[in-house]
Amino acid sequence: MKRYDYIKARSVDEAIGLLKEYGPRAMLIAGGTDVMVGVKQGKFSPEVLISLREIEGLNYIKADQGSLKIGALTTHRELERSAVIAERFGALKDAVDNLGSVQIRNVATIGGNICNAAPSADTAPPLLVHDAEVEIKGPGGERRMPLEDFFLGPGKTALSPEEVLLGFSLPWPPEHAASAYWKHSRRQAMDLPILGVAMYLEVELRDPDPLKRAQKEGASVEAQLEALGESDILCREIRLALGVAAPTPIRTKRAEEVLKGQRLTKEGLIELGRVASEEAQPRDTIRGAAWYRREMIRVLPKRLALRCLERIFRREER
Amino acid sequence: MKKRISFVLNGDRVEADVEPHWTLLKLLRDVFELTGAKEGCGMGECGACTVVVDGKAVVSCLFPVMEVEGREVWTVEGLAERSPEGLHPIQRAFVEKGAVQCGFCTPGMIMSAKALLDENPHPTEEEIKTAISGNICRCTGYVQIIRAIKAAAEGGEDGGVESSR
Amino acid sequence: MEELRVVGKPVPKKDAYEKATGRAIYIHDLKLPGMLYGKILWSRYPHARIVKIDTSKAERLPGVKAVLTGYNIPEIRFGFYKDNTPLKKGKVYAMRDEVAAVAATDPEIAEEAINLIEVEYEPLPAVFDPEEAMKEGAPLIHEEHGTNVLKLPWKLVCGDVEEAKKGSAHIVEDQFRVTWVTHCCMGTSGCIAHFDPQGNLTFYSITQIPYLAQRDFQEALKALGLGGKKVRIVQTTIGGGFGSKLDTHAYEYIAILLAWKTRRPVKIVFTREEEFKYTSPRQPAIIRISQGCDREGRLTFREVHMILDNGAHTSWGATTPSVMMMPISSLYKVPNVLYTAKCVYTNNTYCQAMRGYGNPQATFAIECSMDQLAEAAGIDPMEFRLINANEPGETTPQGFKVSSCALKECIEEVGKRLGWKEKRGKRNGRGVGMASLIHVGGGARVYKSDGCGTIIKVDDFGKVDVFTGASDIGQGADTVIAQAVAEELGVPVEDVTVIMNDTDVCPWDVGVHASRTTFIACNSALGAARKVKAEIFKLAALVLNEPEDELELKDRTVFSRRDPEKRIDLGKLLRGAHYRSQGKMIMAEYFYDPDTVMLGKDFKGNFSKAYAYGTHGVEVEVDTETGQVKILKYVAAHDVGKAINPMLIEGQIYGGAMMGIGYALTEQMIFVEGDMKNANFLDYKILTAKDVPPMESVLIEPWEEYGPFGAKGIGEPGCVPSAPAIANAIYDAIGVRIKDLPITPEKILKALKEKEGGGA
Repeated sequence: MKRYDYIKARSVDEAIGLLKEYGPRAMLIAGGTDVMVGVKQGKFSPEVLISLREIEGLNYIKADQGSLKIGALTTHRELERSAVIAERFGALKDAVDNLGSVQIRNVATIGGNICNAAPSADTAPPLLVHDAEVEIKGPGGERRMPLEDFFLGPGKTALSPEEVLLGFSLPWPPEHAASAYWKHSRRQAMDLPILGVAMYLEVELRDPDPLKRAQKEGASVEAQLEALGESDILCREIRLALGVAAPTPIRTKRAEEVLKGQRLTKEGLIELGRVASEEAQPRDTIRGAAWYRREMIRVLPKRLALRCLERIFRREER
Repeated sequence: MKKRISFVLNGDRVEADVEPHWTLLKLLRDVFELTGAKEGCGMGECGACTVVVDGKAVVSCLFPVMEVEGREVWTVEGLAERSPEGLHPIQRAFVEKGAVQCGFCTPGMIMSAKALLDENPHPTEEEIKTAISGNICRCTGYVQIIRAIKAAAEGGEDGGVESSR
Repeated sequence: MEELRVVGKPVPKKDAYEKATGRAIYIHDLKLPGMLYGKILWSRYPHARIVKIDTSKAERLPGVKAVLTGYNIPEIRFGFYKDNTPLKKGKVYAMRDEVAAVAATDPEIAEEAINLIEVEYEPLPAVFDPEEAMKEGAPLIHEEHGTNVLKLPWKLVCGDVEEAKKGSAHIVEDQFRVTWVTHCCMGTSGCIAHFDPQGNLTFYSITQIPYLAQRDFQEALKALGLGGKKVRIVQTTIGGGFGSKLDTHAYEYIAILLAWKTRRPVKIVFTREEEFKYTSPRQPAIIRISQGCDREGRLTFREVHMILDNGAHTSWGATTPSVMMMPISSLYKVPNVLYTAKCVYTNNTYCQAMRGYGNPQATFAIECSMDQLAEAAGIDPMEFRLINANEPGETTPQGFKVSSCALKECIEEVGKRLGWKEKRGKRNGRGVGMASLIHVGGGARVYKSDGCGTIIKVDDFGKVDVFTGASDIGQGADTVIAQAVAEELGVPVEDVTVIMNDTDVCPWDVGVHASRTTFIACNSALGAARKVKAEIFKLAALVLNEPEDELELKDRTVFSRRDPEKRIDLGKLLRGAHYRSQGKMIMAEYFYDPDTVMLGKDFKGNFSKAYAYGTHGVEVEVDTETGQVKILKYVAAHDVGKAINPMLIEGQIYGGAMMGIGYALTEQMIFVEGDMKNANFLDYKILTAKDVPPMESVLIEPWEEYGPFGAKGIGEPGCVPSAPAIANAIYDAIGVRIKDLPITPEKILKALKEKEGGGA
């Protein structure tokens, strides 16, 4: 066992003070499921762990002036159970539903998942497609930045050594919008994604009936795509984010341009997938081959779009 | 340098002097001699070390011992000791439904089941599978474990996973 | 036949109570006073000369009591080919080779000490492919042998294959590959070695072969100058076996050497990473197979040639061909058979026994090839199997005397439950497939002895103690033996205690392998139980004044059949016999060793008393865009003779099937230059509860005359036909055949694209 001291911060300011005091000898720990593994594997060798767990006021899911705020210490389990996340931020719900295991989700926090900055972080693509911003506090005070700029490389974020992540702010989505996340993995549980894809879709429903009917009948993906072609659904806004397709989780903005402001069609979604697969830079790793990852980026967006539409239709009915 | 922590263990208030770098698993096994929770991988990937902390199933191999302060911890031994017949209904169901072979994963499975049933007394088969998806078993193929948890659930019934002779 | 009271019932596993309450003691939980902790240093290169080892810093660390290397231990060679030593001297042959070991007062100090040992290596050219290793000029692994090909006699000839080819209307030929997968026992490997002051060894172990290990360690003790000293093997509760503990391993000898050096108990326990990297997995194989049939679809010949990557040293993986011969010669009726296998040294890991012992590997090739042949002959694959199915009473080309056999019934059950006729042949992304198995079901004379001893004693209260040489590795030996004895002696199963796991106390048994325990150990226990019953009736005859052959024993009572009023409580009878002048104690022993033979030099002979059959069928849905396979339904039909405990049998079947599905679709050890890269549960894809498909288990009980209450073995069959059943179903679904395991989405997608692109 590696030895270290363990100090509990009672407030964010105290945590910042401790980070200042111990410098590179210290690391922050929240739920611990990434940090403890990293320490055991020798990836991290802290002399001191500064625990954030006791800090009050960093665990929340609340609507606040046109945005959803999620505290950094919110556990994945709490996100899994949140009605508002399930209702309006479907991609995030998809991500936490199948992240790790129940035991992991019970203690692991969304702040920890993002600060660990693995390219495979399941919560990253959903937060990215929701244009999330991160709120940070350091010795100099508080600041915000887009999550997109927060990831600098595998395991590296824009947090300076004395800063603490406070939480996330997601703009509240409009009526006809929904998101979805697809975790492409080899097993149904306890798995990292070979590839993760998140999509946010905002539409104008001019004539959605053919697709609505097809989905109600439980039609196959192919049949639904045909029905989409017969429908008239305008894409107002579309955002796509990928995990394990680059050194950090990324948005594929060129791909998004393909369908922005266009009528949604199967061909358009195929083109979007093609452009996204070229924007991505997947690697060959023992977890998956680059060609396969590219292929999945190409074929999966169609399914995500159908899922988003299904969610939009369901909301409409209620 | 050791620090003192105090918490509730299997219904009793206890204290222990611990090294700050220990995990809850080490505390339970080496200090309290509760060897039911096992180290199957040490990385939180197999669930053999699962115990219940404040009502939630956690992998004790990744749970920092200092975070145990003030919390309520239940282990598989406590379940048995605190049950009138020395056997909790979940434990009885595991025994009676063939859910135990080599038994190494069993304490962790039972504690995951306990956390599930305390929160959701009538889980569906999918919910049961999700609750134990972080507990790996190599012997049983999970089928009889799922049956046992169903049987233990209030008024739960077997079935769903078919078998016939 | 009379209604059975206990046999045939789902009696809960006897040790389940301890296990479910966290009270069972595994090797990880065991502590002895004064115990030291051992840790091993492994090689950093797959092939290298050891130039220098400097252990001085480690020796100086406070708390370190011993540091061993290949240079300060006596010569001990283990493994049946005798090419392995506990710590390597001169050179290292694989990344998993043991180079040094320490014993210290606590595990943290032991780990620190290991990191202080400095080893200087001179890397040598290495070879990781058996076909490369066979070539002229390839680096020699064991130079003293002069070749990388092991001198092993694996060749089976039945009839005349060349002649049969001429008479075949259809012939298919193909190559299949299976790679390394590992046992993933949830309890990692470990042991505690402890010498008494006179030099006798007590070895706390998780072995599956207590008596063979005893012999191996006795040999090793000679090298320590302890020839003639005693070895006692005590097994703790075992956290999974699956064949991983059928040999003796380097770490066990290391623990013994450390214990002797320090004169204190030494415990070695593996971490999960060590378990993945440094234990011996399932034998991989490159399999070329060709089969033929006549116009009516009857098999004419089967020709199989294999190349086995033997790795750096030799363990039981090199003997898997002796078992692979079984399905090759006897799965379905095939009159002409030719089989050869070459085992080749490489700098890779080396392999052990793993559930099925070569059968899953060979059956993958055979059953995929059967489907290919059926297609060539224009016959439905299920029909093809029925045409060629084995039948009771036949003798196979390898000389197996098949007594009970319900293969046809298994095939038909599977076909019915899958909806074979309706679902087959659609090629629309959904498909069905099946595969069968043969395995030994009545023990297996792979050693000179296939025996098991039992001693039964009955106490003054009618409680029965059964001392058996068999071991429980989670499969339920403790329970079925109790059931058999309880049935025979007419007592409740709670009254029977099965004592196993101590060579000082229990009689000899060859080991927990070959799915033999129910068959052999129960037959042994029954033999002893019948003797005990006879003794009891002798006593009771005098007391009740009734002839012995009129007596019955039921519900703890002895009574006369013709005059049931004449009865006596069993306990009372026994106390009466015991507490008097020239009193009697009731005890009996029995050693059961069936009248089978070892395979001859030609590998023929009836080496099992009975054979188990089964068929698995699968319905799959393949996502042709992602290559992912979903199992919609899985049916496992097994010919078990008689289910002594249907609940425990199902446990073996479900567990085996999930292991088989993993073998087929997700599990593989990924090596780069001999180094395992996915040595954890995240990257080694063992299946979780959420991966369980809808599964149906069907027990077919044709009743085996030589089996205890008609039972046959089931421990291994459950994982044998899964991979080919799934591969065959995938072929039915999308018309592509993946010939190397695991069948990953990548392989399927690639094959589909090749097919679309006008490929073969």
